[in-house]
Amino acid sequence: MAQLFAPGADALLRLAVLSGAALLAGGAVVVAGIARSDYVTGVGIAPAQPVPFSHKHHAGELGIDCRYCHTTVETQASAGLPPTQTCMTCHSQIWTGSDMLKPVRDSFSSGEPLRWTRLNKLPQYVYYNHAVHVTKGIGCSTCHGDVTTMQMTFRANAFEMRFCLDCHRAPDRYVRPPDQVWNMNWSPPADQATRGPELVAKNHIHGGDRLTECGICHR
Amino acid sequence: MADAVLGPETSTRSGAGIARAIAVRALHNPPGRRWWIAFAAASGLLALFFGVILVLLFTGVGIWNNNNAVVWALDIASYDWWIGIACGSVVVAGTLRLTDAPWRGAISRIAEANALLCTLAAGLYPIIHLGRPWFFYWNLPYPNTLGLWPQFRSPLVWDAVDIVSFLVVTVSLWYLGLLPDLATLRDRAYAEAEIKSRRAGRPRRWPRLKAQAYGIAAAGWRGSASHWQLWGQAYRIVALLGLLLVVALQTGASVMFAGSVLPGWHDTILPVTELVNAVFSGVAVIAALAVLIRAVYGLDDLITERHVERLARLLLGLGLASLYCHGAEFLSGFLHGDAFERATLVRRLTGAQAWAFWTVLTCALLPVHLFWWARFRRSGPTLALVGGLVAIGAYADHVMVLVVTLSHDFLPSSALAYRVGLWGVATFAGSVGLFLVLLLLVLRALPVISIADLRAAAPAEPRAPAGPVPADRPVGAETPLWGVSAEFDTEADMARAMRALARPHPHHGTTVRLDAFGPVPMPDALDGLARRNRSILPYALGASLAGGAAFYGMCVYATAYGYVFDVGGRPRFSWPSFVVPSLSFGVMCGTLAVHAVFLFVNRLPRLNHPAFNIPEFGRASQDRYFLAAEARSTDFDAARIERRLVSLPEGGGRPLAIRRVPR
Repeated sequence: MAQLFAPGADALLRLAVLSGAALLAGGAVVVAGIARSDYVTGVGIAPAQPVPFSHKHHAGELGIDCRYCHTTVETQASAGLPPTQTCMTCHSQIWTGSDMLKPVRDSFSSGEPLRWTRLNKLPQYVYYNHAVHVTKGIGCSTCHGDVTTMQMTFRANAFEMRFCLDCHRAPDRYVRPPDQVWNMNWSPPADQATRGPELVAKNHIHGGDRLTECGICHR
Repeated sequence: MADAVLGPETSTRSGAGIARAIAVRALHNPPGRRWWIAFAAASGLLALFFGVILVLLFTGVGIWNNNNAVVWALDIASYDWWIGIACGSVVVAGTLRLTDAPWRGAISRIAEANALLCTLAAGLYPIIHLGRPWFFYWNLPYPNTLGLWPQFRSPLVWDAVDIVSFLVVTVSLWYLGLLPDLATLRDRAYAEAEIKSRRAGRPRRWPRLKAQAYGIAAAGWRGSASHWQLWGQAYRIVALLGLLLVVALQTGASVMFAGSVLPGWHDTILPVTELVNAVFSGVAVIAALAVLIRAVYGLDDLITERHVERLARLLLGLGLASLYCHGAEFLSGFLHGDAFERATLVRRLTGAQAWAFWTVLTCALLPVHLFWWARFRRSGPTLALVGGLVAIGAYADHVMVLVVTLSHDFLPSSALAYRVGLWGVATFAGSVGLFLVLLLLVLRALPVISIADLRAAAPAEPRAPAGPVPADRPVGAETPLWGVSAEFDTEADMARAMRALARPHPHHGTTVRLDAFGPVPMPDALDGLARRNRSILPYALGASLAGGAAFYGMCVYATAYGYVFDVGGRPRFSWPSFVVPSLSFGVMCGTLAVHAVFLFVNRLPRLNHPAFNIPEFGRASQDRYFLAAEARSTDFDAARIERRLVSLPEGGGRPLAIRRVPR
């Protein structure tokens, strides 16, 4: 009986099997990589806005407080998006003829709000409250990054569930004293390991058990 | 022995003859009109299945009427039913294999294929019954961006692990049984391709491709003594693991029920009931299939009256066991159950789903009692009919256990209406279509009866007339020599020749490597090869234990440290809930290890091998035995081996032919 398969058939079979296995494993890695990529999560991508508003200029160089525009961040679930009137408190006096600010003036005169492109989106089934986070010592930059360096604003974190859970499981690693909440350059001090638990106790934060219940966020 | 095994009709037919008939049927049986009609009908049902799934994905599980507390109805009943039949089939196939029952040949292939196909039909249900089926992979432990582990205390996760393990085990059992048969088909198809090419005067491509397809599926099986040795071990180990998995799966299902607080799901006999009913339904479907296949393929001389009678007896015994389990449930419920449990039992008899109970009684529990009479035990049509009825009864049983409990728990306000809907029935009919399409394809392309088992059980072909050993066809001097081969018509002769060759070469491993090839396991030849003591059992055991322990460790880590989560006040270390999935995973690891070691030790797959250069080697998968002395060094002296073989006496190992084999 002659050979049914040519001598190279085994090499081909092994190549096919190994390629199949590599493709399967590689495919999984690629899919996982794409799911985590900035392309999907939108991290670091600054979309075009109706007005090229610069957080770097206003909050960083001029030192305007976050709460000057995001007025409800300490009291309500939403931090609040400033109305055109807030812009006009200054821009009715300075840069009044700037072409760049024409949409702001148009909005003010027509009463039609500016349509900003939203960056930080949470799914509908996630309940999030700015007030409780800010007043219990979680700073803006923990989630939004250092916006004082952002010429055009971009998303600093992917806001995947793991991101929320990291803090909910161990809030003592992220909690700050009240005066540091607005500090955009805050990083945990050397003694965070002792100060964190103190702040957690002081602010009645029930990390670990209570904060990881489904119903805390998915109400 | 063949008389006892196959009935009087076959005593004139040899094992090789039967095997040939089965192989020819798989290779040539043209799909007749009946096959095409059946295939078209089955394909229609399959199309319905995909249609229903499409609607389901758009609309949601509400189309099954599962939009109140009756969250499990026909979907889970169908899943349990298919898995139950698959479990029963694995029990039959595994038990036949482990006990080495001589009559298994006619039944084991049907049982193995049925186990696989039912698992495939069941396989989609756990996914499509989820609210959001496209997130089914959330059930699996994988590195995810949610920062979560699957909840290992949940039966949903057990199901995911169970079904994957069960699929691995059923594929493995089916494929292992098929492996030598695939080699037989390869060799026959190749021989036919050669004949066709010779007739046509040019190489014929399609017949050769067909042979190559079987060849790739056979993974280069050569029927070597060590192939057979490890094959037998692998087959038995997988059968044993399969039996273990069936017990874990069916008792695990009742643990899932018991994990709830609902009435009617807590009797301690339930694990036994589930197991008995699964085997009962499995045997019933195998019996019906065996009779149907016998009728369609005219296999009356293979699936004999004795097989029918044994299956009937088995059904009767299992029917009695099932009756006992049902009776015991009612007895203990009424004797010491609480009011809610008693109410559930009463609702089974009189409630809105009472039809299910009466179907169980009239279809599953009563008809088997026909088999008290020998006349019915020997009647194929009766067996098929009762088998079909038992399958229907088993389905009603699953509906009864699930729906009656779920449609009413403790409060008067939670009496919920559930009616079997058209979509649920259509989904089930569709899954039957999937089963039938696959069954028809399997019946079309593969041997319906295990050729290897039949050959091992049936008598050998009458001996070829002995004569002088034919002269060797010389191999060109410049062609490198692989070795010397000798052809025999019995294993005993080959074993004698092998011992004769092995004796003067105590260290034959260094210059000569002996191997034996044949169509059945060759324990005698193994002695000559000094390979009798090899075992893959330690690897299987090690992999099973390591896999199970690793999975258990993962469950403990995830639940107690990685993802601490309070579910109904259960402790962090909820050890009992990790047992079921760990066991399933361990069984899967063991099965995969068996295959890996089997292939690695035998250096398979190997499509092109010098052994195939032996003239007439195709008959090694049919009716001939080959001894090969392979040259391992330049000291190899082919002429001396040939002289030694020729000098052997008639009946004492003299070969039919001796050949030098080129590399």
